[in-house]
Amino acid sequence: MDNIAYVALSRQTTLRREMDVIANNIANADTTGFKVESLMVETAPVAPAATMDAPNPVNFVTNAGITRDFGQGALQQTSRPVDLALEGDGFFMVEIQPGTYRFTRNGAFNTDESGRLVTSEGHPVLDANYNAISMNPAAGPPTVSEDGTIFQGATQVARLAVVRFPVTRNLTKVSDNYYGHPPNEPPVPAEDARVRQGMREASNVRPIVEITNMIEVQRVYERVSRIVDTTEDLSRRAVERLGEVKG
Amino acid sequence: MRALRTAASGMLAQQLNVDVISNNIANMNTVGFKRQRAEFQDLLYQNVARAGTQSSASGTVVPTGVQVGSGVRPGAVYRILEQGTVTRSDNPFDIAIQGAGYLQVTMPSGETAYTRAGNLSTNAEGQLVTHEGYLLQPGITVPEGARQVTIAADGQVQVAIDGQTEPQTVGQIELAAFLNEAGLEAMGGNLFMQSGASGAPQTGTPGTPGFGRLLQNYTEASNVDAVSEITALITAQRAYEMNSKVISAADEMLSTANQLKQ
Repeated sequence: MDNIAYVALSRQTTLRREMDVIANNIANADTTGFKVESLMVETAPVAPAATMDAPNPVNFVTNAGITRDFGQGALQQTSRPVDLALEGDGFFMVEIQPGTYRFTRNGAFNTDESGRLVTSEGHPVLDANYNAISMNPAAGPPTVSEDGTIFQGATQVARLAVVRFPVTRNLTKVSDNYYGHPPNEPPVPAEDARVRQGMREASNVRPIVEITNMIEVQRVYERVSRIVDTTEDLSRRAVERLGEVKG
Repeated sequence: MRALRTAASGMLAQQLNVDVISNNIANMNTVGFKRQRAEFQDLLYQNVARAGTQSSASGTVVPTGVQVGSGVRPGAVYRILEQGTVTRSDNPFDIAIQGAGYLQVTMPSGETAYTRAGNLSTNAEGQLVTHEGYLLQPGITVPEGARQVTIAADGQVQVAIDGQTEPQTVGQIELAAFLNEAGLEAMGGNLFMQSGASGAPQTGTPGTPGFGRLLQNYTEASNVDAVSEITALITAQRAYEMNSKVISAADEMLSTANQLKQ
Protein backbone atom coordinates (compact mmCIF):
# COMPACT_ATOMS: atom_id res chain seq x y z
CA MET A 1 0.00 0.00 0.00
CA ASP A 2 2.81 2.41 0.88
CA ASN A 3 4.22 1.91 -2.61
CA ILE A 4 1.36 3.85 -4.13
CA ALA A 5 2.04 6.89 -2.01
CA TYR A 6 5.77 6.71 -2.70
CA VAL A 7 5.35 6.32 -6.47
CA ALA A 8 2.89 9.23 -6.47
CA LEU A 9 5.33 11.29 -4.43
CA SER A 10 8.14 10.61 -6.88
CA ARG A 11 5.93 11.79 -9.75
CA GLN A 12 4.84 14.87 -7.84
CA THR A 13 8.44 15.83 -7.14
CA THR A 14 9.29 15.68 -10.84
CA LEU A 15 6.11 17.58 -11.71
CA ARG A 16 7.10 20.39 -9.38
CA ARG A 17 10.51 20.52 -10.98
CA GLU A 18 8.85 20.57 -14.39
CA MET A 19 6.78 23.50 -13.22
CA ASP A 20 9.98 25.29 -12.17
CA VAL A 21 11.46 24.73 -15.61
CA ILE A 22 8.31 26.00 -17.34
CA ALA A 23 8.25 29.05 -15.06
CA ASN A 24 11.86 29.75 -16.00
CA ASN A 25 11.01 29.47 -19.70
CA ILE A 26 8.12 31.88 -19.38
CA ALA A 27 10.12 34.33 -17.26
CA ASN A 28 12.75 34.31 -20.00
CA ALA A 29 10.31 34.63 -22.89
CA ASP A 30 11.87 38.03 -23.64
CA THR A 31 15.52 37.24 -22.91
CA THR A 32 17.78 37.69 -25.92
CA GLY A 33 19.20 34.41 -27.20
CA PHE A 34 17.47 32.28 -24.53
CA LYS A 35 16.87 28.65 -25.49
CA VAL A 36 13.82 26.82 -24.21
CA GLU A 37 14.44 24.00 -21.74
CA SER A 38 12.45 20.95 -20.83
CA LEU A 39 12.77 18.33 -18.15
CA MET A 40 13.07 14.70 -19.14
CA VAL A 41 11.88 12.08 -16.70
CA GLU A 42 12.58 8.38 -16.62
CA THR A 43 11.46 5.34 -14.70
CA ALA A 44 13.58 4.20 -11.81
CA PRO A 45 12.86 0.57 -10.93
CA VAL A 46 13.32 -0.10 -7.23
CA ALA A 47 12.48 -2.90 -4.87
CA PRO A 48 9.01 -2.30 -3.38
CA ALA A 49 8.42 -1.52 0.27
CA ALA A 50 6.26 -4.64 0.73
CA THR A 51 6.41 -7.52 -1.71
CA MET A 52 3.19 -9.34 -0.82
CA ASP A 53 1.14 -8.59 -3.92
CA ALA A 54 2.94 -5.59 -5.33
CA PRO A 55 4.61 -5.68 -8.73
CA ASN A 56 8.32 -6.18 -8.40
CA PRO A 57 10.18 -3.96 -9.11
CA VAL A 58 8.08 -0.85 -8.60
CA ASN A 59 8.77 1.92 -11.11
CA PHE A 60 9.42 5.27 -9.53
CA VAL A 61 9.76 8.47 -11.57
CA THR A 62 12.94 10.48 -11.51
CA ASN A 63 14.46 13.31 -13.54
CA ALA A 64 16.75 12.15 -16.30
CA GLY A 65 18.03 15.46 -17.50
CA ILE A 66 17.33 18.83 -19.05
CA THR A 67 17.20 19.22 -22.80
CA ARG A 68 17.69 22.54 -24.48
CA ASP A 69 16.14 23.22 -27.81
CA PHE A 70 18.91 25.07 -29.65
CA GLY A 71 16.53 25.93 -32.48
CA GLN A 72 16.75 29.35 -34.04
CA GLY A 73 14.94 32.20 -32.31
CA ALA A 74 13.22 34.87 -34.39
CA LEU A 75 15.45 37.74 -35.50
CA GLN A 76 14.28 41.22 -34.58
CA GLN A 77 15.68 44.38 -36.04
CA THR A 78 17.13 46.83 -33.51
CA SER A 79 19.21 49.24 -35.64
CA ARG A 80 22.10 49.22 -33.16
CA PRO A 81 25.37 48.56 -35.02
CA VAL A 82 26.75 46.42 -32.18
CA ASP A 83 23.63 44.23 -31.86
CA LEU A 84 24.71 41.01 -33.53
CA ALA A 85 22.50 37.97 -33.98
CA LEU A 86 23.55 34.49 -35.01
CA GLU A 87 21.67 32.57 -37.61
CA GLY A 88 22.40 28.86 -37.54
CA ASP A 89 24.36 26.71 -35.12
CA GLY A 90 26.99 28.76 -33.30
CA PHE A 91 27.96 30.82 -30.26
CA PHE A 92 29.88 34.00 -29.59
CA MET A 93 32.84 33.57 -27.31
CA VAL A 94 33.42 35.68 -24.20
CA GLU A 95 36.29 35.73 -21.72
CA ILE A 96 34.98 36.23 -18.20
CA GLN A 97 38.37 35.81 -16.53
CA PRO A 98 41.77 35.39 -18.15
CA GLY A 99 41.63 31.89 -19.59
CA THR A 100 37.98 31.23 -18.65
CA TYR A 101 35.64 31.25 -21.60
CA ARG A 102 31.87 31.42 -21.85
CA PHE A 103 29.63 31.05 -24.86
CA THR A 104 26.52 33.00 -25.67
CA ARG A 105 23.87 33.54 -28.32
CA ASN A 106 23.12 36.99 -26.91
CA GLY A 107 24.89 39.37 -29.27
CA ALA A 108 23.58 42.62 -27.76
CA PHE A 109 27.09 43.96 -27.29
CA ASN A 110 28.50 47.33 -26.34
CA THR A 111 31.78 49.11 -26.59
CA ASP A 112 33.45 50.05 -23.34
CA GLU A 113 35.38 53.21 -22.46
CA SER A 114 38.50 51.95 -24.24
CA GLY A 115 36.68 50.93 -27.43
CA ARG A 116 36.63 47.17 -26.73
CA LEU A 117 33.65 45.11 -27.79
CA VAL A 118 32.04 43.81 -24.58
CA THR A 119 28.86 42.09 -23.39
CA SER A 120 26.42 43.91 -21.14
CA GLU A 121 28.33 42.36 -18.23
CA GLY A 122 31.49 44.11 -19.47
CA HIS A 123 33.27 40.90 -20.46
CA PRO A 124 35.31 41.16 -23.69
CA VAL A 125 34.02 39.42 -26.80
CA LEU A 126 36.76 37.41 -28.49
CA ASP A 127 38.01 37.23 -32.04
CA ALA A 128 38.98 34.06 -33.87
CA ASN A 129 42.40 34.07 -32.15
CA TYR A 130 40.79 34.37 -28.69
CA ASN A 131 41.85 38.01 -28.27
CA ALA A 132 39.67 40.93 -27.24
CA ILE A 133 38.43 43.15 -30.06
CA SER A 134 39.37 46.83 -29.94
CA MET A 135 37.71 49.28 -32.23
CA ASN A 136 38.84 52.73 -33.26
CA PRO A 137 36.17 55.11 -31.96
CA ALA A 138 37.15 57.82 -34.44
CA ALA A 139 36.56 55.52 -37.42
CA GLY A 140 32.77 55.47 -37.09
CA PRO A 141 30.35 52.64 -36.41
CA PRO A 142 31.50 49.13 -37.37
CA THR A 143 30.12 47.02 -40.19
CA VAL A 144 29.94 43.30 -39.55
CA SER A 145 29.81 40.88 -42.45
CA GLU A 146 27.98 37.56 -42.41
CA ASP A 147 31.13 35.62 -41.61
CA GLY A 148 31.74 37.78 -38.53
CA THR A 149 34.44 40.04 -39.94
CA ILE A 150 34.28 43.52 -38.40
CA PHE A 151 35.14 46.45 -40.61
CA GLN A 152 35.42 50.13 -39.84
CA GLY A 153 35.29 51.87 -43.18
CA ALA A 154 37.63 49.85 -45.39
CA THR A 155 39.81 48.68 -42.51
CA GLN A 156 39.38 45.15 -41.21
CA VAL A 157 39.37 45.24 -37.43
CA ALA A 158 38.96 41.61 -36.41
CA ARG A 159 37.01 38.49 -37.09
CA LEU A 160 34.59 37.39 -34.38
CA ALA A 161 34.97 33.95 -32.90
CA VAL A 162 31.83 32.05 -33.88
CA VAL A 163 32.13 28.53 -32.54
CA ARG A 164 29.98 25.46 -32.21
CA PHE A 165 30.05 22.27 -30.19
CA PRO A 166 29.72 18.84 -31.74
CA VAL A 167 27.84 17.72 -28.61
CA THR A 168 25.58 20.45 -27.24
CA ARG A 169 24.13 18.40 -24.40
CA ASN A 170 27.29 18.89 -22.35
CA LEU A 171 26.84 22.65 -22.32
CA THR A 172 25.82 23.97 -18.94
CA LYS A 173 23.96 27.18 -18.29
CA VAL A 174 25.76 29.57 -15.96
CA SER A 175 23.31 32.53 -15.83
CA ASP A 176 23.61 35.88 -17.64
CA ASN A 177 22.90 34.13 -20.94
CA TYR A 178 26.26 32.39 -20.78
CA TYR A 179 26.98 28.72 -21.37
CA GLY A 180 29.97 26.90 -19.98
CA HIS A 181 31.43 23.74 -21.45
CA PRO A 182 33.64 20.94 -20.20
CA PRO A 183 37.29 21.82 -20.93
CA ASN A 184 37.99 18.47 -22.56
CA GLU A 185 35.65 19.27 -25.46
CA PRO A 186 37.03 22.34 -27.19
CA PRO A 187 34.72 24.27 -29.51
CA VAL A 188 35.22 24.14 -33.25
CA PRO A 189 34.69 27.03 -35.70
CA ALA A 190 31.07 27.26 -36.79
CA GLU A 191 31.13 27.27 -40.57
CA ASP A 192 27.38 27.44 -41.11
CA ALA A 193 26.52 30.25 -38.71
CA ARG A 194 25.94 33.70 -40.17
CA VAL A 195 26.24 36.93 -38.22
CA ARG A 196 23.45 39.45 -38.73
CA GLN A 197 24.21 43.01 -37.77
CA GLY A 198 21.60 45.32 -36.26
CA MET A 199 19.48 42.36 -35.17
CA ARG A 200 18.84 40.45 -31.98
CA GLU A 201 17.79 36.86 -31.64
CA ALA A 202 14.64 36.65 -29.56
CA SER A 203 14.23 33.72 -27.21
CA ASN A 204 12.75 30.63 -28.85
CA VAL A 205 10.18 30.13 -26.08
CA ARG A 206 6.77 29.51 -27.63
CA PRO A 207 4.19 30.87 -25.18
CA ILE A 208 1.35 28.60 -26.28
CA VAL A 209 3.45 25.47 -25.84
CA GLU A 210 4.63 26.59 -22.40
CA ILE A 211 1.14 27.49 -21.17
CA THR A 212 -0.18 24.17 -22.49
CA ASN A 213 2.62 22.30 -20.70
CA MET A 214 1.90 24.26 -17.58
CA ILE A 215 -1.80 23.31 -17.61
CA GLU A 216 -0.87 19.70 -18.20
CA VAL A 217 1.61 19.65 -15.33
CA GLN A 218 -0.94 21.20 -13.03
CA ARG A 219 -3.70 18.73 -13.96
CA VAL A 220 -1.43 15.69 -13.73
CA TYR A 221 -0.31 16.92 -10.32
CA GLU A 222 -3.96 17.04 -9.26
CA ARG A 223 -4.63 13.55 -10.63
CA VAL A 224 -1.62 12.11 -8.84
CA SER A 225 -2.72 13.63 -5.57
CA ARG A 226 -6.17 12.10 -6.21
CA ILE A 227 -4.40 8.72 -6.26
CA VAL A 228 -2.83 9.48 -2.90
CA ASP A 229 -6.27 10.49 -1.61
CA THR A 230 -7.81 7.26 -2.83
CA THR A 231 -5.06 5.21 -1.24
CA GLU A 232 -5.50 7.06 1.99
CA ASP A 233 -9.21 6.38 1.80
CA LEU A 234 -8.64 2.68 1.18
CA SER A 235 -6.35 2.25 4.15
CA ARG A 236 -8.68 4.24 6.40
CA ARG A 237 -11.60 2.02 5.39
CA ALA A 238 -9.51 -1.09 5.84
CA VAL A 239 -8.70 -0.02 9.37
CA GLU A 240 -12.40 0.72 10.07
CA ARG A 241 -13.67 -2.57 8.69
CA LEU A 242 -11.03 -4.62 10.44
CA GLY A 243 -11.95 -2.84 13.62
CA GLU A 244 -15.64 -3.78 13.16
CA VAL A 245 -14.88 -7.47 12.61
CA LYS A 246 -12.88 -7.65 15.80
CA GLY A 247 -15.59 -5.88 17.79
CA MET B 1 8.04 26.07 -4.85
CA ARG B 2 10.56 27.87 -7.03
CA ALA B 3 8.08 28.46 -9.88
CA LEU B 4 6.39 31.13 -7.78
CA ARG B 5 9.56 33.20 -7.36
CA THR B 6 10.66 32.53 -10.92
CA ALA B 7 7.39 33.89 -12.27
CA ALA B 8 7.62 36.86 -9.90
CA SER B 9 11.05 37.69 -11.35
CA GLY B 10 9.47 37.52 -14.80
CA MET B 11 6.74 39.93 -13.75
CA LEU B 12 9.27 42.35 -12.28
CA ALA B 13 11.30 42.23 -15.48
CA GLN B 14 8.25 42.97 -17.61
CA GLN B 15 7.33 45.80 -15.28
CA LEU B 16 10.71 47.40 -15.97
CA ASN B 17 10.18 46.74 -19.67
CA VAL B 18 6.89 48.65 -19.56
CA ASP B 19 8.59 51.48 -17.63
CA VAL B 20 11.20 51.83 -20.35
CA ILE B 21 8.65 51.63 -23.16
CA SER B 22 6.37 54.21 -21.53
CA ASN B 23 9.31 56.58 -21.09
CA ASN B 24 10.06 56.20 -24.81
CA ILE B 25 6.46 56.93 -25.73
CA ALA B 26 6.31 59.90 -23.35
CA ASN B 27 9.39 61.36 -25.03
CA MET B 28 8.21 60.84 -28.58
CA ASN B 29 8.32 64.58 -29.24
CA THR B 30 11.41 65.41 -27.17
CA VAL B 31 14.09 67.01 -29.32
CA GLY B 32 17.20 64.84 -29.58
CA PHE B 33 15.75 62.02 -27.43
CA LYS B 34 17.18 58.55 -28.02
CA ARG B 35 14.95 55.57 -27.36
CA GLN B 36 15.94 52.91 -24.86
CA ARG B 37 15.49 49.19 -24.67
CA ALA B 38 15.55 46.87 -21.69
CA GLU B 39 17.67 43.78 -22.09
CA PHE B 40 17.14 40.69 -19.92
CA GLN B 41 19.33 37.88 -18.72
CA ASP B 42 18.59 34.60 -17.03
CA LEU B 43 19.37 34.11 -13.36
CA LEU B 44 21.50 31.45 -11.71
CA TYR B 45 20.85 27.80 -12.40
CA GLN B 46 20.64 25.15 -9.74
CA ASN B 47 22.40 21.96 -10.61
CA VAL B 48 20.11 19.17 -9.45
CA ALA B 49 22.26 16.59 -11.20
CA ARG B 50 25.50 17.73 -12.75
CA ALA B 51 26.29 16.50 -16.25
CA GLY B 52 29.40 14.36 -16.43
CA THR B 53 29.28 13.12 -12.84
CA GLN B 54 29.45 9.41 -12.21
CA SER B 55 26.12 7.71 -11.91
CA SER B 56 27.37 4.30 -10.85
CA ALA B 57 30.42 2.54 -9.50
CA SER B 58 31.07 1.02 -12.93
CA GLY B 59 31.94 4.44 -14.32
CA THR B 60 28.81 5.46 -16.19
CA VAL B 61 28.29 9.20 -16.29
CA VAL B 62 25.19 11.40 -16.25
CA PRO B 63 24.79 12.38 -19.93
CA THR B 64 22.76 15.52 -19.44
CA GLY B 65 22.52 17.25 -16.11
CA VAL B 66 19.38 18.56 -14.54
CA GLN B 67 19.71 22.32 -14.31
CA VAL B 68 16.79 24.35 -13.12
CA GLY B 69 16.88 28.08 -13.74
CA SER B 70 15.57 30.59 -11.25
CA GLY B 71 14.13 33.30 -13.46
CA VAL B 72 15.18 36.48 -15.14
CA ARG B 73 16.75 39.81 -14.27
CA PRO B 74 17.22 43.05 -16.17
CA GLY B 75 20.70 42.98 -17.70
CA ALA B 76 20.93 46.48 -19.09
CA VAL B 77 18.86 49.32 -20.44
CA TYR B 78 20.50 50.39 -23.67
CA ARG B 79 20.15 53.69 -25.42
CA ILE B 80 19.71 53.22 -29.15
CA LEU B 81 21.74 56.01 -30.69
CA GLU B 82 20.24 55.88 -34.13
CA GLN B 83 19.97 59.28 -35.86
CA GLY B 84 16.57 60.92 -35.38
CA THR B 85 14.93 62.53 -38.38
CA VAL B 86 15.72 66.21 -38.80
CA THR B 87 12.70 68.47 -38.95
CA ARG B 88 12.64 72.01 -40.20
CA SER B 89 11.90 74.66 -37.59
CA ASP B 90 12.99 77.88 -39.33
CA ASN B 91 14.57 79.11 -36.14
CA PRO B 92 18.13 80.27 -36.97
CA PHE B 93 19.33 79.13 -33.55
CA ASP B 94 18.10 75.56 -34.04
CA ILE B 95 20.90 73.23 -35.04
CA ALA B 96 20.58 69.52 -35.69
CA ILE B 97 23.64 67.28 -35.55
CA GLN B 98 23.77 64.88 -38.47
CA GLY B 99 26.08 62.10 -37.38
CA ALA B 100 28.05 61.56 -34.18
CA GLY B 101 28.77 64.16 -31.55
CA TYR B 102 27.24 66.21 -28.77
CA LEU B 103 27.02 69.92 -28.12
CA GLN B 104 28.86 70.93 -24.95
CA VAL B 105 26.99 72.89 -22.32
CA THR B 106 28.33 74.53 -19.16
CA MET B 107 26.13 73.68 -16.23
CA PRO B 108 25.51 76.23 -13.44
CA SER B 109 27.81 74.08 -11.28
CA GLY B 110 30.64 74.59 -13.75
CA GLU B 111 30.54 70.99 -14.98
CA THR B 112 30.25 70.21 -18.65
CA ALA B 113 27.13 68.43 -19.89
CA TYR B 114 26.46 67.09 -23.36
CA THR B 115 23.32 67.27 -25.44
CA ARG B 116 21.92 66.42 -28.86
CA ALA B 117 19.06 68.91 -28.44
CA GLY B 118 20.22 71.85 -30.53
CA ASN B 119 17.24 74.10 -29.96
CA LEU B 120 19.32 77.03 -28.77
CA SER B 121 18.51 80.68 -28.18
CA THR B 122 20.35 83.79 -27.08
CA ASN B 123 20.25 85.31 -23.61
CA ALA B 124 20.21 88.98 -22.62
CA GLU B 125 23.94 89.31 -23.31
CA GLY B 126 23.61 87.74 -26.76
CA GLN B 127 25.30 84.50 -25.70
CA LEU B 128 24.14 81.23 -27.22
CA VAL B 129 22.34 79.17 -24.54
CA THR B 130 20.19 76.06 -24.32
CA HIS B 131 16.49 76.44 -23.64
CA GLU B 132 17.33 76.18 -19.95
CA GLY B 133 19.73 79.11 -20.19
CA TYR B 134 22.94 77.07 -19.85
CA LEU B 135 25.85 78.49 -21.84
CA LEU B 136 27.10 76.72 -24.93
CA GLN B 137 30.76 75.79 -24.74
CA PRO B 138 32.94 77.28 -26.30
CA GLY B 139 30.92 80.45 -25.72
CA ILE B 140 29.55 82.32 -28.68
CA THR B 141 28.18 85.84 -28.40
CA VAL B 142 26.00 87.31 -31.09
CA PRO B 143 26.83 91.06 -31.16
CA GLU B 144 24.17 93.72 -30.89
CA GLY B 145 22.77 94.86 -34.19
CA ALA B 146 23.41 91.56 -35.89
CA ARG B 147 20.86 90.98 -38.58
CA GLN B 148 21.33 87.49 -39.78
CA VAL B 149 23.02 84.55 -38.08
CA THR B 150 24.44 81.80 -40.25
CA ILE B 151 25.73 78.55 -38.74
CA ALA B 152 27.70 76.58 -41.29
CA ALA B 153 27.86 72.78 -41.49
CA ASP B 154 31.37 72.92 -39.99
CA GLY B 155 30.14 74.95 -36.99
CA GLN B 156 31.36 78.39 -37.99
CA VAL B 157 28.95 81.08 -36.78
CA GLN B 158 28.78 84.21 -38.90
CA VAL B 159 26.60 87.29 -38.53
CA ALA B 160 25.72 90.06 -40.93
CA ILE B 161 25.91 93.46 -39.25
CA ASP B 162 24.19 96.60 -40.46
CA GLY B 163 26.56 98.85 -42.32
CA GLN B 164 29.10 96.10 -43.03
CA THR B 165 29.33 94.29 -46.35
CA GLU B 166 31.40 91.32 -45.18
CA PRO B 167 29.84 88.83 -42.74
CA GLN B 168 31.65 88.69 -39.43
CA THR B 169 32.74 85.41 -37.83
CA VAL B 170 31.77 85.38 -34.16
CA GLY B 171 32.67 81.86 -33.12
CA GLN B 172 33.09 78.19 -33.86
CA ILE B 173 30.79 75.50 -32.46
CA GLU B 174 32.65 72.37 -31.38
CA LEU B 175 31.29 68.90 -30.87
CA ALA B 176 32.34 66.27 -28.34
CA ALA B 177 32.45 62.57 -29.20
CA PHE B 178 32.85 59.61 -26.88
CA LEU B 179 34.42 56.18 -27.22
CA ASN B 180 31.33 54.65 -25.76
CA GLU B 181 28.38 56.94 -26.28
CA ALA B 182 25.97 54.41 -24.82
CA GLY B 183 27.79 54.76 -21.49
CA LEU B 184 26.85 58.42 -21.02
CA GLU B 185 24.77 59.12 -17.96
CA ALA B 186 21.42 60.76 -18.67
CA MET B 187 20.51 63.46 -16.19
CA GLY B 188 17.21 64.69 -17.60
CA GLY B 189 16.62 67.91 -19.47
CA ASN B 190 18.09 66.25 -22.59
CA LEU B 191 21.52 66.47 -20.96
CA PHE B 192 24.14 63.78 -20.49
CA MET B 193 27.19 63.62 -18.26
CA GLN B 194 30.47 61.86 -18.80
CA SER B 195 30.71 58.59 -16.83
CA GLY B 196 33.30 55.95 -16.15
CA ALA B 197 31.84 53.85 -18.95
CA SER B 198 31.69 56.57 -21.58
CA GLY B 199 35.38 57.44 -21.66
CA ALA B 200 36.79 60.95 -21.93
CA PRO B 201 35.26 63.35 -24.47
CA GLN B 202 37.19 64.19 -27.62
CA THR B 203 36.31 67.53 -29.08
CA GLY B 204 36.49 68.40 -32.72
CA THR B 205 35.18 70.52 -35.54
CA PRO B 206 31.86 69.37 -37.00
CA GLY B 207 32.27 67.62 -40.32
CA THR B 208 35.74 66.23 -39.59
CA PRO B 209 36.10 62.41 -39.36
CA GLY B 210 34.27 61.09 -36.32
CA PHE B 211 32.03 64.14 -35.96
CA GLY B 212 28.68 64.91 -37.55
CA ARG B 213 27.75 68.00 -39.51
CA LEU B 214 25.50 70.77 -38.29
CA LEU B 215 22.28 71.75 -39.96
CA GLN B 216 20.91 75.18 -39.16
CA ASN B 217 17.14 75.83 -39.01
CA TYR B 218 16.50 72.17 -38.14
CA THR B 219 16.05 70.16 -34.97
CA GLU B 220 16.66 66.45 -34.51
CA ALA B 221 13.42 64.70 -33.64
CA SER B 222 13.42 61.79 -31.18
CA ASN B 223 14.14 58.42 -32.77
CA VAL B 224 11.16 56.75 -31.06
CA ASP B 225 9.09 54.73 -33.49
CA ALA B 226 5.48 54.69 -32.30
CA VAL B 227 4.52 51.43 -34.02
CA SER B 228 7.41 49.42 -32.62
CA GLU B 229 6.90 50.87 -29.14
CA ILE B 230 3.23 49.90 -29.11
CA THR B 231 4.10 46.42 -30.37
CA ALA B 232 6.69 46.12 -27.62
CA LEU B 233 4.12 47.30 -25.09
CA ILE B 234 1.64 44.62 -26.16
CA THR B 235 4.34 41.93 -25.97
CA ALA B 236 5.40 43.10 -22.52
CA GLN B 237 1.82 43.11 -21.25
CA ARG B 238 1.17 39.59 -22.53
CA ALA B 239 4.43 38.34 -21.06
CA TYR B 240 3.40 39.87 -17.73
CA GLU B 241 0.05 38.06 -17.91
CA MET B 242 1.73 34.78 -18.77
CA ASN B 243 3.96 35.03 -15.71
CA SER B 244 0.95 35.73 -13.53
CA LYS B 245 -0.69 32.59 -14.97
CA VAL B 246 2.33 30.62 -13.80
CA ILE B 247 1.92 32.06 -10.32
CA SER B 248 -1.73 31.01 -10.15
CA ALA B 249 -0.93 27.54 -11.54
CA ALA B 250 1.86 27.05 -9.01
CA ASP B 251 -0.47 28.30 -6.32
CA GLU B 252 -3.13 25.77 -7.33
CA MET B 253 -0.57 22.98 -7.23
CA LEU B 254 0.34 24.00 -3.70
CA SER B 255 -3.31 24.10 -2.72
CA THR B 256 -3.76 20.61 -4.21
CA ALA B 257 -0.93 19.45 -1.98
CA ASN B 258 -2.55 21.12 0.98
CA GLN B 259 -5.85 19.35 0.35
CA LEU B 260 -4.21 15.92 0.48
CA LYS B 261 -4.78 15.48 4.18
CA GLN B 262 -8.23 16.66 5.13
